[in-house]
Amino acid sequence: MEPIIHIENIHKHFGNTHALNNVSLDVAKGEVIVIIGPSGSGKSTLLRCINRLEEFDAGKIIVDGITLDSAENINAVRTEVGMVFQQFNLFPHLSVLENIMLAQKIVRKRSNTEAENIARELLNKVGIHEKADAYPGQLSGGQQQRVAIARALAMNPKIMLFDEPTSALDPEMIQEVLDVMLNLAKEGMTMVVVSHEMGFARAAADRAILMDGGQIIEEAAPDILFSKPKEERTKLFLSKIL
Amino acid sequence: MILSRKASAPSTKKGGTFDRWWFLLAAVVALILLLIFTKPDPFMRILLYVKAGLWTTVSLTGISFLLVMLFGLLVALCRISKSKVLVGISTVYVEVIRGIPLMVQLIFWYFAFPSVIQGIGQALNIQSFIDFKTNAISMAILGLTICYSAYMSEVYRAGIQSISRGQMEAARSLGMNYLQAMQHVILPQAVRVILPPVGNEFITLLKDSSLVSVVAVADMTRRGREFMAANFIPIQTWTMIALLYLVMTLLAGRLVAYMERRFKMEK
Repeated sequence: MEPIIHIENIHKHFGNTHALNNVSLDVAKGEVIVIIGPSGSGKSTLLRCINRLEEFDAGKIIVDGITLDSAENINAVRTEVGMVFQQFNLFPHLSVLENIMLAQKIVRKRSNTEAENIARELLNKVGIHEKADAYPGQLSGGQQQRVAIARALAMNPKIMLFDEPTSALDPEMIQEVLDVMLNLAKEGMTMVVVSHEMGFARAAADRAILMDGGQIIEEAAPDILFSKPKEERTKLFLSKIL
Repeated sequence: MILSRKASAPSTKKGGTFDRWWFLLAAVVALILLLIFTKPDPFMRILLYVKAGLWTTVSLTGISFLLVMLFGLLVALCRISKSKVLVGISTVYVEVIRGIPLMVQLIFWYFAFPSVIQGIGQALNIQSFIDFKTNAISMAILGLTICYSAYMSEVYRAGIQSISRGQMEAARSLGMNYLQAMQHVILPQAVRVILPPVGNEFITLLKDSSLVSVVAVADMTRRGREFMAANFIPIQTWTMIALLYLVMTLLAGRLVAYMERRFKMEK
């Protein structure tokens, strides 16, 4: 079957740093992939290349049959790919409901009523329907991140990217966000997750990938990667975070 | 005076529902009324004489400021754009304009610019350029707009750049294009940041508009000079003119403070 994300030999430099060094990766529809690795290993950069928040220098990325080259194609891909950020990045001047409705109205051209119905439905799904009229600043980190997930889902994406979604959260709020992500995975969403949450990886991921120095060092089923890694670099990294 | 660009709006302390600066405004208005009614000659005469100029000052400032808001935003967007050409042009514009006194610029636009156009017309034989005529008020608006847009673009730029990069990324990742993200996500947040400095720009523009009196615009300052020349009563004339400017700037300051509070509450 055609992969929904096809990444082929991409390179990316930040000044003298070779942030991505010949990375190739295929993600099948419905697959959940967890990427781990030390900071500066290129995992976030790889994720951000998929929806072209980051330009890459060489190589090719095809998302859902669309090659990322022209501006139109990039916008087309972005409407199919939802992204959740470490810092939530909710729009602080809009209420929770408006946060979820804004892009629906502008990009998907949905009516006010339609957008609001979808927004309320999604708030139910992530378990914070009672916060619809609150502003992001009034919510806890976990609640904000769940709103951010709902906001991305409102665009009906085929793929969801998560860039360290729980790293900025207090420990007691991590699980509520992971639960939402687990449910998404169960529903068959294609997900690429940069995260060190081993529990989530074991429970939901089909594959786990270790990146270092801009390269994919090792990839395997999460249980295998975490318990019987082949590469020395993987063992070293796991010994530090486990 | 031209280079004095200090903040002139007294900042309001948060908390009190009624701010004390209204008393100052009321006191100035009361003083004007007192002068007019206790000594109608010369104060009422001065007021009636400069009244037309007062409207010129107000409309000149209003129109220029509207244009400054639009053109300044355009310049700011050029300065933060990815295109090196746009960045280059807009940066040179801002640096050049900020390095020349406003008075010199106003004189240039009124006295030199029409000749420049006519000269170009003669050289290239374009009849409409040779016949180029202008009037004082439009050149004054042009001069104020060109000058203040340079300063205003810096205010916009600082405001836009104060919004974290993640906001733009979140908007773009949802499929919005650059302008949609600017319009719906970045600028509404930047407005809250830039409102105080924009208010100061407005008040400074209001005061600097008195400089157009040197390029044949019959604003309040020029009317004052005419009145003084005819009546030889400088103290009364300039006291009255100063008080009228003060009323306008204080009122503008209150308006800005009010808008700031409104925006804060919405957040």
